[in-house]
Amino acid sequence: MSRARFLESERRVGFLCLAPALLAVAAFSLAPLAIVLWLSLRRHMPVFGISRFVGLDNYAYLVSDPRFLSSLGNTAYVVLASVALELVLGLLVALLLDRSFSGRRIARAAVLVPWAFPTVVAASAWGFLLSPGFGVVNRVLGIDANWLGDPWLAIHAVILADVWKSTPLAALLLLAGLQVIPRDLGRAALVDGAGAAARFFRVTLPLLRPTILVVVLFRSLDAFRIFDVVYVLTGGGPANTTESVSLYAYRLYFQTLQFGTGSAVSIASCLVMAAWSAVMVGLLSTSRRGA
Amino acid sequence: MTARSERTRHAVAAVAVALASCAARDEPAAAPDTLPATIVFRHFPVFGGPEPLSRLLDEFRRENPGLIVEDRLLPASSDQQHQFYATQLEARSSDFDVFALDVVWVPEFARAGWLRDASDLVSEDDRRDFFDGPLLATTLGGKAYAVPWFMDGGLLYYRADLLEKHGLAVPDTLDDLARATRTVIEGERDPSLLGFLFQGRQYEGLVCSALEIVHSVPGGAFVADGRSAMTRPETIEGLCLLRRLVAEGTSPALVSSLDEEGSRLLFGSGRAVFLRNWPYAWSLFEADGSSVKGKVGIAPVPRAAGGRHVATLGGFALGVNRHSRNPEAAEKLVRFLASKESQKSLALAAGYEPTRRSLYDDPDLAEKQPFVARLKTILERAEPRPVTPYYPMIAQALQAELSAVVTGLRSPEVAARRAASQIDHVLSLEEP
Repeated sequence: MSRARFLESERRVGFLCLAPALLAVAAFSLAPLAIVLWLSLRRHMPVFGISRFVGLDNYAYLVSDPRFLSSLGNTAYVVLASVALELVLGLLVALLLDRSFSGRRIARAAVLVPWAFPTVVAASAWGFLLSPGFGVVNRVLGIDANWLGDPWLAIHAVILADVWKSTPLAALLLLAGLQVIPRDLGRAALVDGAGAAARFFRVTLPLLRPTILVVVLFRSLDAFRIFDVVYVLTGGGPANTTESVSLYAYRLYFQTLQFGTGSAVSIASCLVMAAWSAVMVGLLSTSRRGA
Repeated sequence: MTARSERTRHAVAAVAVALASCAARDEPAAAPDTLPATIVFRHFPVFGGPEPLSRLLDEFRRENPGLIVEDRLLPASSDQQHQFYATQLEARSSDFDVFALDVVWVPEFARAGWLRDASDLVSEDDRRDFFDGPLLATTLGGKAYAVPWFMDGGLLYYRADLLEKHGLAVPDTLDDLARATRTVIEGERDPSLLGFLFQGRQYEGLVCSALEIVHSVPGGAFVADGRSAMTRPETIEGLCLLRRLVAEGTSPALVSSLDEEGSRLLFGSGRAVFLRNWPYAWSLFEADGSSVKGKVGIAPVPRAAGGRHVATLGGFALGVNRHSRNPEAAEKLVRFLASKESQKSLALAAGYEPTRRSLYDDPDLAEKQPFVARLKTILERAEPRPVTPYYPMIAQALQAELSAVVTGLRSPEVAARRAASQIDHVLSLEEP
């Protein structure tokens, strides 16, 4: 009896101690989420004094809204391409930095520079580099490409800027993963007569799998929210071929003040990300069990 | 600064003093009878430095010793200004009383009930004096909701030296423009020389560039009588003219990534024969060290054959916040800033184009800002973008579909149909 009372009071103290943190979470993340969810069920356009409950109408509109679907497609393409490139490039950089050479510390710090730039600054810089008239990129390559205005090139310019910016993060995470792999395993494989390729594909890569999944999860969630690069570099153009889901939501919210539809876009992208995370976390836990 | 110290003097508790000095912006206004009325003027950064406007405001302060006037800056980006106003006004903020609005926002803000009726601020004489474009843009349902402050209109810059060298007249129609471009580029044998530059990136500048071409076709319009006019044959003809500029090489494909500054820099470095831009570019072309100094001429933007010259209206108007605590004082400031004298002094000091016709015949303006004085005929033809509270939403559809036309991603007919269905959807939102 007294033991139960003790546990009960323990629990109460525990709750009290947690209360500030729970309050903060409730106030800054749950409450806004609830409000957005509520808004997404309404047609809410303050400018015109319209605010009424419409159920799932906003979602029904999105399902057949070509602009939403194309923004979803653009975003998916950017996520796939950027994350794949960042993974490959990041792995190469990580493998390089994992070796011992003089100046390794400096090299490791230097690799992080692009990541340390504010995205907007980096995107503006890319805007200058890729500008059609004076851009350094065209001059160096000796070509006349319309990087930001050609429907096919523009989205790749966005991917380029995103990859440049985020590869360091991928490299850093992968480097951390490489460092926990016991060196003995590589040496043992060497003794067994495995070549460099075999050692990489049979030993390093399988052991790196959990880290790779973490990188893919982190980066894909991050890339799905892509906003600043597009906003600065192309403004979603030409003809919305680079418009991302976040940019569309921003325009619905703040440029045209359609809070209901904007909220529905936010919730929809939130659901997509949640589903994607669930898949990745599932993969991650099976890979943990396997390892 | 004076306003703040004035207020703190009236604060009672020492704590309040400390708080007020940290967060003067958020403090609740004290009872009006104990304090001189304070009016806050929100505006974008004035091009060419803050002095001309500060001088005007000082003059207003001297004339109205009982009023405290604070002037507060907004970010230069038009999107951010719109966002600031929309979020503040939607929350019924009375933190500012007078504000400068882009003419395209006036109907939206008026419809939202954010603007005080400004009909009393525009007298019959003013109506006759103001150009038609800005008057149209600031009127909704027969009532004025803002007072035109200064304006902009698109115009054609051309390389006078190159036209003269090749014996060409200044192009009047789009066909003339195409011919002149071909002649100059072939004659110069310079593969890097570009033809006609305009703002072709997917953003508001593209709507402005396109409007001048579409409206120049008699009957061509984006919106008419509260409905989309995109699928009118005349509008589609205008869109075809826009596409032909790029398809036939009068304009380079790279226009699809140019904004005002991008195109201004290219033309300003001598890389293009023609440019559509706003009046601000002139002083930069004529500045010392500019590679086109003394070689540039101006003309109305070329029109469709058989059509008329059109300039897209830009510029700013002054509005009074409906939730202002001192509307009379705020209106006084608007009257002062939009007056002939104030517009003249801003025009003389900063080269802003006044919204009053009479100023263009002013000898001082002709002497000190001869370029501004020359703009009268162009500004007389300035036409606003669709004047409807829904314009920001319509602009989204226009920007994307016009971009599709310029890049050739969609045919003018298809783009027009897509824009029409979006515009009609937007315009039907309020129907029961």
